[in-house]
Amino acid sequence: MVQYNFKKITVVPTSKDFVDIVLSRTQRQTPTVVHKHYAISRIRQFYMRKVKFTQQTYHEKLTQIIEDFPRLDDIHPFYGDLLNVLYDKDHYKLALGQINTARNLIDRIAKDYVRLLKFGDTLYRCKQLKRAAMGRMCTLMKKQGPSLAYLEQVRQHMSRLPSIDPQTRTILVCGYPNVGKSSFVNKITRADVDVQPYAFTTKSLFVGHTDYKYLRWQVIDTPGILDHPLEDRNTIEMLAITALAHLRAAVLFVVDLSGSCGYSIAQQAALFHSIKPLFANKPLMIACNKTDLQPLETLPEEEKALIEEMRREAAGRDMGEGAGDEGALMVMSTMNDEGVVDVKNTACERLLQQRVEVKMKGKKMNDVVNRIYVAEPRARDHKERPPVIPQAVLEARANEPAKPARKLERELQEEQGGAGVYSAKLQKHYMLADEAWKDDVMPEIMDGKNIADFIDPDIMARLEELERLEEGEDDGGEEEMEEEDLTAEEKEALQAIRRRKRQLLDRHRARKTTADNRSMVPRKFDQNRELTTGRMEEHLSHMGIDPSAAVARVRERSVSRQGRKRGRSEGPSMDEDGMQIDGSQGPAHKKMRDRSRSRSAVIAVPGDGFKDSAQKIKIQKIKRKGEMARNRMAKQGEADRVIPNKMPKHLFSGKRGIGKTDRR
Amino acid sequence: MATRTQFENSSEIGVFSKLTNAYCLTAIGGSENFYSTFEAELADVIPVVKVSIAGTRVIGRMCVGNKNGLLLPNSTTDQELLHIRNSLPDSVVVQRVDERLSALGNCISCNDYVGLIHTDLDRETEELVADVLGVEVFRQTIAGNILVGSYAVFSNRGGLVHPQTSVEDLDELSSLLQVPLVAGTVNRGSEVVGAGLVANDWTAFTGFDTTATELSVIESVFKLRDAQPSAIVNEMRASLIDSMA
Repeated sequence: MVQYNFKKITVVPTSKDFVDIVLSRTQRQTPTVVHKHYAISRIRQFYMRKVKFTQQTYHEKLTQIIEDFPRLDDIHPFYGDLLNVLYDKDHYKLALGQINTARNLIDRIAKDYVRLLKFGDTLYRCKQLKRAAMGRMCTLMKKQGPSLAYLEQVRQHMSRLPSIDPQTRTILVCGYPNVGKSSFVNKITRADVDVQPYAFTTKSLFVGHTDYKYLRWQVIDTPGILDHPLEDRNTIEMLAITALAHLRAAVLFVVDLSGSCGYSIAQQAALFHSIKPLFANKPLMIACNKTDLQPLETLPEEEKALIEEMRREAAGRDMGEGAGDEGALMVMSTMNDEGVVDVKNTACERLLQQRVEVKMKGKKMNDVVNRIYVAEPRARDHKERPPVIPQAVLEARANEPAKPARKLERELQEEQGGAGVYSAKLQKHYMLADEAWKDDVMPEIMDGKNIADFIDPDIMARLEELERLEEGEDDGGEEEMEEEDLTAEEKEALQAIRRRKRQLLDRHRARKTTADNRSMVPRKFDQNRELTTGRMEEHLSHMGIDPSAAVARVRERSVSRQGRKRGRSEGPSMDEDGMQIDGSQGPAHKKMRDRSRSRSAVIAVPGDGFKDSAQKIKIQKIKRKGEMARNRMAKQGEADRVIPNKMPKHLFSGKRGIGKTDRR
Repeated sequence: MATRTQFENSSEIGVFSKLTNAYCLTAIGGSENFYSTFEAELADVIPVVKVSIAGTRVIGRMCVGNKNGLLLPNSTTDQELLHIRNSLPDSVVVQRVDERLSALGNCISCNDYVGLIHTDLDRETEELVADVLGVEVFRQTIAGNILVGSYAVFSNRGGLVHPQTSVEDLDELSSLLQVPLVAGTVNRGSEVVGAGLVANDWTAFTGFDTTATELSVIESVFKLRDAQPSAIVNEMRASLIDSMA
């Protein structure tokens, strides 16, 4: 859709300003210094550039003007005629034509002088040629003064034209001056047109907008029309005629029944009949205004007949036979708002019907036919799918005004400093078992671990289960197992052993929980060497129990088994054919032997970058040797931070007159 | 009732909010205006929650849900998940989905009974949609668009789909979903209805640019304020033809 917006036309300067603008631009944007001892080609080039630049600037500016102004033949005929009426088509075209000619002449002047400049043999001659070229261009522009002034006036007027869309739904209000057209427009739109009790208050077109059936309607208020031949009409009247002629709108012919406008009903009827041709193919309505002064019923018979004739005309030219009849004549009073809305609705409805009928025949209709269709579901099973509407909603709907006002976040925000300052807590509406939990700090990462990975919703249940299990083990389990076939003595020993065991365990746990941040010392490095196999052996012996089995069991589980004397073991197991079987004990023992302490623990791991352990050891030795001197004196190494010069000369010397002491 | 609103000067409110019959999620914005629009309409009835998903504000496109549950993309952080769980009632199952197509809101569209899903969605995701949201699942396209979540919005009472959906497609979809459907636009002619509109069984919110005609189509098809879908073919027919053709 073409938008008719004449507000964007750039300002047209007066001829004097025009020359000033172009020359100062040339001065500012081309080089300004030239000397006579320069090479002549350089001097020529200098002046040629000036001439060309001036021409270019003129060309651009003039082209801008020519292109900005709409071409009357290309725009919608409504605007074409409107501009013709307002500014006179011939004058308008002439002015633009002159600007166009000026542009071409300037181009030619520049071309000629550039050609001449090629033959300039001194700086002086070149300069004179440049002066002549620019002088001629500027004189030419000065002569365009009247055209430019006219165009500027047109531009200013055009930018104030109402933005009427010729394609959209429009209601056009027309009639004699002072019959109440503007009052009607003011009633149904917010256009705020000036209303005064004298003729020709409205001197141009005014646009307002109103709503009907979810659509936006353009209401155009026109100046009053007098009944005389077209040739005698003045510009103001012609505006109304133009609008009537070109806009496909619903026409509302306002008739003043009371005659207080100064024109009798007969005169108004005559106007109606004389501009009848302009109503062709448009929904037409007669709106009888000022019924508060003179109701339609009490009108004299002959005037009633005139109105009736107009009504028949209006109804007859409507295409829809039935619809045309009842809405063709409406009465209203803009004074006390009677019938105003009805008039508007009827006008809108009639135009809408006509537009729909036209559009139904158009090609575009096929594209939208799916959008005025409601697909109703066919039942595919017998499942019920009822809407889920909470009871509270239904109740609220039933008793609308009883709703207590809720304090909205928006209001809280305004109270507490506005957007950007106020920040509502996200936890505000949490649904938790305990209100106090809302403010709990939720750790996200702890000890480098994502807490959420460890959250187990069933953790409490599991803990309980575990505890139950543990207790069961401690109390029942073991004791019940063996106790029947033990003597009293043995039972006592067992009890003692268990007590000791639990004691050790408790002590270990206690130490571990109070350890806080201290690292646990492994038993291997325990200075006291309290818990050793030897001591256990001793202790058991004291109790009169043979400790060998216990000691053997402990040794079995020991990590440092390597040094132990090899016990008697089965030889590599042979099957019947004398073949060795894989997975027997043999290889395990071999490995134990390989790992004796006599060798260095330094092992070259693949990826270290060493060929073998020997190389790694060698390199470590070299490294240590290299570091020795430095480490001995605790001297700084290459990795230590160093400031070689704390006061670099270049930063701390210089004049200090204006306080710039450290940076220049 | 349908309400016009906008999120920080954007009319694509479906991107920044998610509305179901059991809860409403909104993005965390610079001001409370957007949140309060929902709060004023809904907070007495269902929880209205400010959330972020995967640190973004485009929550409407990231998640999908109905009164039974809420599916979140894999990129949702643990804290966001916790926040949503804490804010929604226990009857709503909140579940994170390991799906390659992480914009679940664009790929899935559902009401409380039926759901349409993107044709390329994993089988596991399909099962999750069926289990968590408790809906029948159909792999469908809408007017040739595989992003069903962007181009269809429907509640248990009616639905709006891409404006170029043909009459046959409308009939087929309507029979699948078992709700009346209309092809239409939002936000002054935008065809991404999922971005311009959120609706549940008793209310709807649309972008600020939505015209009066569009709004009345929405109110009719979603049966808000006792409007009936038949109004679209009867009373509103002339206005629709005049504004569209």
